[in-house]
Amino acid sequence: MSMPTTTHCDILIVGGGLVGCATAWHLSRLGFKVLLAERGHLNSGASGQNAGSLHFQIERRFLEQGEKAAADGARIVSLNRLAIEEWKGIENMLGRPLDVAMHGGLMVAETEAEMDLLAFKVARENELGLQTRVLSGTQLHHKASALSPNLAGAAWLEDEGHANPRTLVDAFADGARGQGAVVQTGTALAGLSMQRDRTYRATLHGPDGEITVNTPRVLLAAGHWVPRLAGLLGLNVPLYPAPLMMSVTDRTEPVLPFLIQHVGRRLSMKQTEDGNLLIGGGWPSRLAKRADGTPDLDRPAIVEPANLRANLDVGARVMPGLAERSLLRTWTGTTCISADQLPIVGEVAAAPGLFVAAGGSLFTLGPVLARLLARTIAEGAAPEELTMFTPRRFAHLDAFAVLP
Amino acid sequence: MKEAGVKRVEQGVTRPAPVAVELDGAPVMAHPGETVAVAVLSTAPRFRDDRSGQARGMFCNMGTCSECTVWVARGDAPWRRLRGCLVPVEPGLRIRTERPEA
Amino acid sequence: MSTYDIAIVGGGPAGLAAAERTLAAGLSICVIDEQQRPGGQILRQPPATFSVPGWLGGAPYRKGRALLDRVSGDARLQWLGGRSVLGVMPDGEGFALTLSGTAGGIEQVRARRVLVAGGCYDMPVALPGWTLPGVMSAGAVQTLIKAQQVLPGQRIVLFGTHPLMIVLAQQIVEAGGEVAAVCFAQPFAAMARTALAHLPRALRTPGPLLAAAAGIMALRRAGVPVRYGAQALRCEGTDAVERIVFSNGESIACDVAAMCYGFLPQADLIRQIGAEVRWSDPAGGWEAVHDEAMRATVLGLYVAGETTGVAGSDAAMAEGALAGLAIAQDAGALSDGEAAAAIRKPRAERQAMQGFIDLLRSVADPRPWLPQPEPETLLCRCEDISAGTVDRAIADALEVGPSFGASAIKLRCRAGMGLCQGRTCEHALVRRIASARGCREAEVTGFRPRFPARAVSVADLLEGAA
Repeated sequence: MSMPTTTHCDILIVGGGLVGCATAWHLSRLGFKVLLAERGHLNSGASGQNAGSLHFQIERRFLEQGEKAAADGARIVSLNRLAIEEWKGIENMLGRPLDVAMHGGLMVAETEAEMDLLAFKVARENELGLQTRVLSGTQLHHKASALSPNLAGAAWLEDEGHANPRTLVDAFADGARGQGAVVQTGTALAGLSMQRDRTYRATLHGPDGEITVNTPRVLLAAGHWVPRLAGLLGLNVPLYPAPLMMSVTDRTEPVLPFLIQHVGRRLSMKQTEDGNLLIGGGWPSRLAKRADGTPDLDRPAIVEPANLRANLDVGARVMPGLAERSLLRTWTGTTCISADQLPIVGEVAAAPGLFVAAGGSLFTLGPVLARLLARTIAEGAAPEELTMFTPRRFAHLDAFAVLP
Repeated sequence: MKEAGVKRVEQGVTRPAPVAVELDGAPVMAHPGETVAVAVLSTAPRFRDDRSGQARGMFCNMGTCSECTVWVARGDAPWRRLRGCLVPVEPGLRIRTERPEA
Repeated sequence: MSTYDIAIVGGGPAGLAAAERTLAAGLSICVIDEQQRPGGQILRQPPATFSVPGWLGGAPYRKGRALLDRVSGDARLQWLGGRSVLGVMPDGEGFALTLSGTAGGIEQVRARRVLVAGGCYDMPVALPGWTLPGVMSAGAVQTLIKAQQVLPGQRIVLFGTHPLMIVLAQQIVEAGGEVAAVCFAQPFAAMARTALAHLPRALRTPGPLLAAAAGIMALRRAGVPVRYGAQALRCEGTDAVERIVFSNGESIACDVAAMCYGFLPQADLIRQIGAEVRWSDPAGGWEAVHDEAMRATVLGLYVAGETTGVAGSDAAMAEGALAGLAIAQDAGALSDGEAAAAIRKPRAERQAMQGFIDLLRSVADPRPWLPQPEPETLLCRCEDISAGTVDRAIADALEVGPSFGASAIKLRCRAGMGLCQGRTCEHALVRRIASARGCREAEVTGFRPRFPARAVSVADLLEGAA
């Protein structure tokens, strides 16, 4: 498809990952004229490189003492409950199979201290309406005989599982295009400015040359590249790259229908429809460097063999059969983490019409956040569930921005 | 299953005395220094069945295609999936073309 | 962990020639190879437990064997055979290499500089029936004979476009095997025309041409039929290959059908490190980009031999010598003057060969003659992904836009996700993507090679953790 050199749209979405394509899907469905620009090919960033976990049990940090942690914990649980419903309906919504397997998830514990932590967590989750429950070592072994008999127990949530990160983004993008969205790959955002009338002018570099886009709204959904893109407007989005590693083994017969996590250690483990075991859990890789020693975000991060071995070690302790497998590939993907570890999703205070959506955990939460973000964009107000993610919490960083 | 047409070149070659290795539970004689792939080939051209149940053979003999990958156990060491063309046989080596029972 | 001045990945002619030069300059080196013994595929040695007095006695092997004898006898050489390199990571001023034993085990070595001389492998060409046992690469047959002293079948058909078939057919006959036919896809007149155009320059190094002519005569004497214009269509059989069918309708009975359409550079490590590669014509695959002194585009990384483009073992030896001299010079073990004097001979030798290399590449060019898979023919042999499935994934990707490469197709249909890590199907995906996009193969991005460069047992990695 060849584009005119100057074009207009209701929203320019930068980034062809899960959040960008899903938001494009929702907005095009609502009648928005959407232009989505992806620098590489669709799904080439963290959306396609994460391990595809659907995890809804709350993280340890939301169990900390204090009003803020408690309030955040409550919001996260209510969001996770929405996410569960979102994933349950996603294949219907997009009209194709997406390898969504929600056969349950286990957060395992190896020690009695870890079991105590799980019990505390489950009590809090139940209070907030998330149906987790504690399994003893015996119950756990009964449920998942492939796991080590040495485990002390686990917290069980029947809605957890995994989906195929390789096909989801395509499904959203195809649907969005069917609804009239224009999706341009190989197209980079090279310039972005705010006009006197507070609309935006973007310069895109695509396969057919330069395109100027005039638009009242821009969504930056480009993962760890968001700060760089926001920088085109002189704005600050406090997101920092987090290079991670994921590993995949050869195929084997079905042994693990569940998502496995560990309450005390970094681990996610599951088996794909094809039989491969996927192992991850947030073990860092190393950012590539330029000749001058600064990080090079344009090149893939580098596997850190010691962390890989540590990751596999946790995996094999939890499931001894892992040791019999062959490691086929360890890949790196760079997600990002915000200054307060929560995703940043919503409208930027200093730049009305500019939206951002990035900040980690955006596979599990991506589809529901895209739906909520699309509502925010369409209705001009953020729903309650997005409050904790609002970019406004970092508005102070833009105190010195000059716009337009 | 078709019988193997593999033939050891005899003329101008002196090999050490053959040793017994175990292939899918049955003894097979192979000369130390020969590869696991040759030991398998010496019985049949099949190394595994693919996902549709079709027999598959070795392809490159250079460690690149992985078609000769089999399960190998040396002594008491655990089973490993290895490229048969790169593993020399040794007495008592166990080879499986299917995944061994744990 | 041992630290070497230089780690040489690949113990073939290029690696050995580089080893000779760096040893002479007093550098500490290790040579890592998946084979137990040095020599590479071209000089793949029988096991040390065998005695084969007449092994590779022919004139084309003489120079390589002399190098092999000189270098493998050098006590200073640390030979790390039976090991795969899983990864080469930047580490301080140099590199850390993670190695796995081909029969198990894991270890790490450090090196200030790394030379990748990984050689090449037979282009795997998908045609109907090619997944039947008994259909294999010409290199498989050749290395089984050279190193294992084994004939893989009783009646062998060679098919393809590469004149190496002449050499291989002789080796099969000398080993007492039967070659049912050697089938060149190209018509004789086309081959002759191409060869003639290159002949004047190729005659600067007449050795290989004379050997080829002698080979054809020897096959004639042995009664081996050599066909031209015989394009393979498909292999047939039930549990194993029983015959191969050609475009003229002819069907030849066999129990081994060996394909020989050319060779792809082994460049996975180069790509994993992030050094620049380019599409390698005519056979395809990715060859390492390098400067005149064989330096790759990553500081401290060098390349030589087929990894830089398939050109044969004589070229590999010359390039290995050049790389070894550059390494010695960069390490300060050779003065600029000494290096400049020493490179003259291998550089002149390498330049003189270019005429024959160009002739061979043109004569053997497989592109017009590649057999076509049917929609149900598997392109990805590991994951059993058919050509039809790959083509659908390409069509779907094309709907979105033209800027996609092999990885995008892999993500869509799993081609390239198996044990061989894409080495078998990548070039076929790149060709099909290029054809669908209407661009050159060189414009299509290949897979992203990852750690580990070879599939490795998790148990081995865990031992390394302990």
